[in-house]
Amino acid sequence: MPDKDLLFAALRRESTPRPPWVPFVGVHGGCLIGVSAPEYLRSSQRIVQGLRRAHELYRPDGLPVIFDLQMEAEVLGCELRWAEEVPPSVASHPLIAGGLGDLPPFDTGAGRFPVAAAVLRELKKDVGHKTALYGLITGPFTLTAHLRGHELFLDMIMHPEQVHETMNYCASIACATARFYREHGADVVAIVDPMTSQISPEHFREFVAPYVNRVFDCVRDLGAFSSLFVCGDATRNLEAMCRTTCDNLQIDENISLPELRSLAQQNNKSFGGNMRLTTVLLLGTENDAKLDAIRCIDQGGDTGFVLAPGCDLPYGTPPANLIAVAQMVHDEYQRDVARTLTASSLDRFDDITLPDYDALDAVTLDVVTLDSAACPPCLYMVQAVRGAIEKVAVDVVFREHKIRHRDGIGHMLRLGVRHIPTICIDGKPTYESVIPDVETLARAIEARHREKRGQ
Amino acid sequence: MSELLAQLAVCIERGKVNKASPYPPDLRGQDGAEELTKQALDSGVAPSDILEQGLIIGMGTIGHKFSRNEVFVPDLLMAAKAMSSAMVQLKPFFESGQARHKGTIVIGTVKGDLHDIGKKLVAMVLEGGGWNVIDLNVDVAPEKFVETLKQHPGAALGMSALLTTTMVNMEETVKRVRQEAPSTKIIIGGAPVTDEFRAKIGADAYSPDPQGALDWLNAQVA
Repeated sequence: MPDKDLLFAALRRESTPRPPWVPFVGVHGGCLIGVSAPEYLRSSQRIVQGLRRAHELYRPDGLPVIFDLQMEAEVLGCELRWAEEVPPSVASHPLIAGGLGDLPPFDTGAGRFPVAAAVLRELKKDVGHKTALYGLITGPFTLTAHLRGHELFLDMIMHPEQVHETMNYCASIACATARFYREHGADVVAIVDPMTSQISPEHFREFVAPYVNRVFDCVRDLGAFSSLFVCGDATRNLEAMCRTTCDNLQIDENISLPELRSLAQQNNKSFGGNMRLTTVLLLGTENDAKLDAIRCIDQGGDTGFVLAPGCDLPYGTPPANLIAVAQMVHDEYQRDVARTLTASSLDRFDDITLPDYDALDAVTLDVVTLDSAACPPCLYMVQAVRGAIEKVAVDVVFREHKIRHRDGIGHMLRLGVRHIPTICIDGKPTYESVIPDVETLARAIEARHREKRGQ
Repeated sequence: MSELLAQLAVCIERGKVNKASPYPPDLRGQDGAEELTKQALDSGVAPSDILEQGLIIGMGTIGHKFSRNEVFVPDLLMAAKAMSSAMVQLKPFFESGQARHKGTIVIGTVKGDLHDIGKKLVAMVLEGGGWNVIDLNVDVAPEKFVETLKQHPGAALGMSALLTTTMVNMEETVKRVRQEAPSTKIIIGGAPVTDEFRAKIGADAYSPDPQGALDWLNAQVA
């Protein structure tokens, strides 16, 4: 079950019985309900539909309301270019030709903010009691880059006073947006500031930290948790980021999670990340997703850690991969299985061979388990096997392969078993994660026996 | 003369555009890349020597520093600005054939991605490294890449993406290029891109920084 209190405990740096999990469902929500990114991000109804579906499938402890870093820029007069499967991009930078005084007044009643308000209102009603809702705001540095374009980088050298002025303005916008999200019921307010991955720690301290701290203080005064998300390789700025006043830091796969953990703990922050978005979640298999979730869970530990993808989930991420992650989050037994398999992923098990089942008189039942002595589903499956063996009047060889041991893992691979526990009849996976009743299994054994005798 | 070119290389590396530029503060009031290039040309230095012993050296130094995280985007952009002030004076010599490029690369951000800072930096470093860069800019459709590659036989292709949500569009372009311009060498980059991703989509190379891209391209024509 999703549990926002568990997430809050992690954000307070307390230990949690399982990792809280926050899939960053942005345009991916559109994919879940079969609509394009522009249709999705412009309609509160669509977003609510998409997030409800994500909630149902992924059982998250937290969900972002809208993952779109162009909302503030749009209100401030940046032209947006829309594409089918991605959030919009900023196509014009009003501060290239004009000054701050030329920008339209910022108003959370304008642009797509009413959409965000409606989404929050709806979601608070049905999922808000169990899942925390995240309001994401564009970080002041990224918003400054939207308004000024690449000139920002040269301004940092040539016109630092202008950069400070714009950052100060953008921090005020961020505070107004934070108030907006909080007033509409967001539990966590996160600054997303990916452009900061492009600058030096000195520039981060000079141009970013004072302004994001102002926003974090504002979020704290509003009674919400604050988080800083930085996508991209911000390794060099990690320490400076950890010294800001946020409650939580979320990072992507380019950054070492153990390094973040160590720095975050030294600075009394909760932290999270950093599942691989493309190679694993988008392009990988369910198994890849499980193993990467385990990597993060084990590297993050059980105190103050929030499991999340590195950044906004790609539109077409296969839901099965995220469901597999949710399984790792909610099922300790599945975590154990995945850990055991991870430990042996480099072994080719050349020494483990299977018998020539057809040549044997007896029917062989290979039962692949975690360990029937310790795992209830495995025990019930083994009991079903023993019961069936007692019932049938044919020779049966029964072998339990416990994947706690190397031999068991080797047999699992050789037999092509993908789920634990599984019963294979003469080498063929027959009951995968489904415990058959004794009668059914006995009939299957007898049928195989007749088949072998050519009857 | 080599001293003039060495000075030019320093101006490029440090981002000293011209005499009027206040940056970097310790070179204030001194000639910049613009003046030094003009002086070199006026004294009869071959444009190819200015390129090879001035610009390429200067951009190479800052490019390697960027790879080692010793300098950052603002520093590289200043260097590129200085280089542009020299390059604009060398352009006529490239057009007349008196100076030659090492090769041609077609470059752009993938469909759906308007973030061109990384691509722009790469283009500048490659140009400063002696390559002819055909910059298709941002949000480039696979067919546009293919069409341009067909117009420039033998050109390499460079693609970048800043968003995890758009990097997947590289795969489609790689497929199309493999079908329609199969001998093209393809290099990719961008904040979320990794070598693992490169291997998955079948591109030839990945570089986390502009200098790596230049080194790889140079190795292709060595």
